[in-house]
Amino acid sequence: MKKPALLIAGMAVLALGGWAALHGVPAAAPEAEGYAILDAGRNVVGRYVVPADSGILVRPDAELILYGKRLLADTARLLPDNVGAAMNCNSCHLGDGKIEGANGYINTVNFYPRVMPRAGKEVDLEARINGCFQRSMNGKPLDPDGREMKAMIAYMDWLRQGVPKDRTVDIVNAGPIDESLVPDPENGRLVYAAKCAACHGADGEGMRDQFGDVLFPPLWGEESFNIGAGMARTYKAAQFVKWAMPPAMHMGGRLGQGGVLSDQDAVDVAEYFTHMPRPDFPAKVKDWPNGGKPRDARY
Amino acid sequence: MRIVTYALIAGLSALAIGWGTAISTPLWFAPKAKDQIDIDDPDLISRGEYIALAGDCTACHTAPGGAAFAGGLGLQTPMGTIYSTNITPDPETGIGRYDYGDFERAVRQGMRPDGAHLYPAMPYASYRVVSDADIQALYAYFMSSVAPFAKENQPTTIPWPASLRWPLAWWNMLFSSPRQFEPPAGGDPVLARGAYLVEGLAHCGACHTPRGLGYQEKALKDDDAGRFLSGSVLEGWYAKNLRNEDTGLSTWTEAELIAFLKTGRNARTAAFGSMTDVVQHSLQHLTDADLTAIARYLKSLPPRPGRETWQPKQDETTEALRAGDFSAPGAITYVEHCTQCHRLDGMGAPEIYPALKGNSMVFADDSSSLIQVTMAGGRMPETPAHAMAFAMPGFAHLSDGDLAGVLSFIRNSWGNHASEVTERDIARMRSELAHKPTHYAPEAKQ
Repeated sequence: MKKPALLIAGMAVLALGGWAALHGVPAAAPEAEGYAILDAGRNVVGRYVVPADSGILVRPDAELILYGKRLLADTARLLPDNVGAAMNCNSCHLGDGKIEGANGYINTVNFYPRVMPRAGKEVDLEARINGCFQRSMNGKPLDPDGREMKAMIAYMDWLRQGVPKDRTVDIVNAGPIDESLVPDPENGRLVYAAKCAACHGADGEGMRDQFGDVLFPPLWGEESFNIGAGMARTYKAAQFVKWAMPPAMHMGGRLGQGGVLSDQDAVDVAEYFTHMPRPDFPAKVKDWPNGGKPRDARY
Repeated sequence: MRIVTYALIAGLSALAIGWGTAISTPLWFAPKAKDQIDIDDPDLISRGEYIALAGDCTACHTAPGGAAFAGGLGLQTPMGTIYSTNITPDPETGIGRYDYGDFERAVRQGMRPDGAHLYPAMPYASYRVVSDADIQALYAYFMSSVAPFAKENQPTTIPWPASLRWPLAWWNMLFSSPRQFEPPAGGDPVLARGAYLVEGLAHCGACHTPRGLGYQEKALKDDDAGRFLSGSVLEGWYAKNLRNEDTGLSTWTEAELIAFLKTGRNARTAAFGSMTDVVQHSLQHLTDADLTAIARYLKSLPPRPGRETWQPKQDETTEALRAGDFSAPGAITYVEHCTQCHRLDGMGAPEIYPALKGNSMVFADDSSSLIQVTMAGGRMPETPAHAMAFAMPGFAHLSDGDLAGVLSFIRNSWGNHASEVTERDIARMRSELAHKPTHYAPEAKQ
């Protein structure tokens, strides 16, 4: 039995040598790529890298920023008086607003105030956020001067990482969709059953966790967003569905999201779920006072 | 001088005897069966197809994107990459000229028709217990029903002299001697069927049983030491402990285990890494009776001494995170990158996103799989049971410190308790991931 023992020892030595040769090269985390920062003329003037949340902790206003981050992520649980739907801000603004094509918050602070066609006047960020509360969240506006509003804006302000007001990070909120496509809601129904129902439920009812909190938001019904929400519009919803839904499809990307449906399937499924029964938005009569209503508006 | 001469002569003689013994093994160690098999018998073929699924031949013998059973999958060993071979019935490059004796000798005895020994990457040590009837059916299926595909076998990258095959004869004599299947005591036919599948065709031990210095599985069946299926690391994946003990399967019910084997997921966890392929290519195709037998047999493997059932700690994490307390080390990284799917309560979403709380993969004895799935991502198998199969994105872009911190947090939160993950562990995995074997599949569509 000496011989095999020697043999095995020899093989082990070779093995260790091979192992060392293979594993001698140190590797490190790749550099974050980031996005270009553009000036008003769209010239590249810098580089924006999505910050890690650990950076919040060293800020003097860390408590307010973290509170804002929590409110955006857990809106229905933390602000039950203001949220009527089983929705969180981050239900549509995926990944804490850090993801391209998924309604990011990175440029939000720099974008407002701005004249918006839907309101027909200048809208500041507080008013824009409150628009979400009354439409997508089917709820009531926050006190624009309250701590909750300040906290949400503090998070968004931290997220822009000091990019000046007159500059933008070269990142889109939503990817393109072919708006010339005619929606086929019947195909949309099939797409929904195959690709969406696993999480959002066979009847669009969504899913709740052990505490009754939102796990996956309902896509129609009394607990969904109302007809005044941007997400109630076919082509806006289709953009989101194509580029941001579903998450957990790929082994790359921040959430492994999107890129599953064709433009046609995305338009079809968006037509299907946006036109299912959902709450009304009584203030709809005030929208687009100066015209310019998009053709997929619900009223 | 004289002593050196003697030592040299003794050494050379030993080498000569070792070599002579090795090359004579076809004559006495691996006898060739003489049975004649009717490869056109439809019953035999259809049973053989099931045996091929249960044996998961395709897992190694089909390269990603390559022709079925045409080989070329690279298997990383400490000595180099071994490529699986073409086992289609192509007469020139495959096994088209094998008679039944050649086939049986390759599958169960690890020997080629030319008398050369196979690398034990082929689990013939496990297949030793597969019955004659099953091997015969398998032969009929391969020879009659698998499409021949011409593709030369790819040589290994193992350097000389480790590339010499005759020493493998000694490996076989030591670690893969002839044996018959022995059912577990008690006479329960379900347990016997489970043991037969687990030890033999399904060759679970090839990944899940720790290996010794000679790269041999430390146990090929259950024994008093309880090393069989007690968990092992291969290609940077930790194939988890499957014994009915704390970090093994003590937290799994038989029903959860069956659901996992059949669909690659259950309410608490999901398959990833190479287990995804095992479910995809093999287990989902097994009958419910066979899956029940496997699950029941695994649940019957007794805990090793000192290893009883799992005792979770009090969950203090859920309340802290829900209250916005992210002060625990690693918590802020968890909340930033993991909560979208795995949630503040670590419960994920049943059959969609795996839970981390109470998931025995998370608090496994070895953290390699947790580290690799976090860095490289993972994907569930696709089965008819679910309309959607989900994937986890990789987080290799995070720093070693952030990854070590968040994984230590996950292993020690919601009542989980396990060893810390260190930055060194992360750095080691980066190297491992950078040196994954490449596969040989020129036929794959680009």
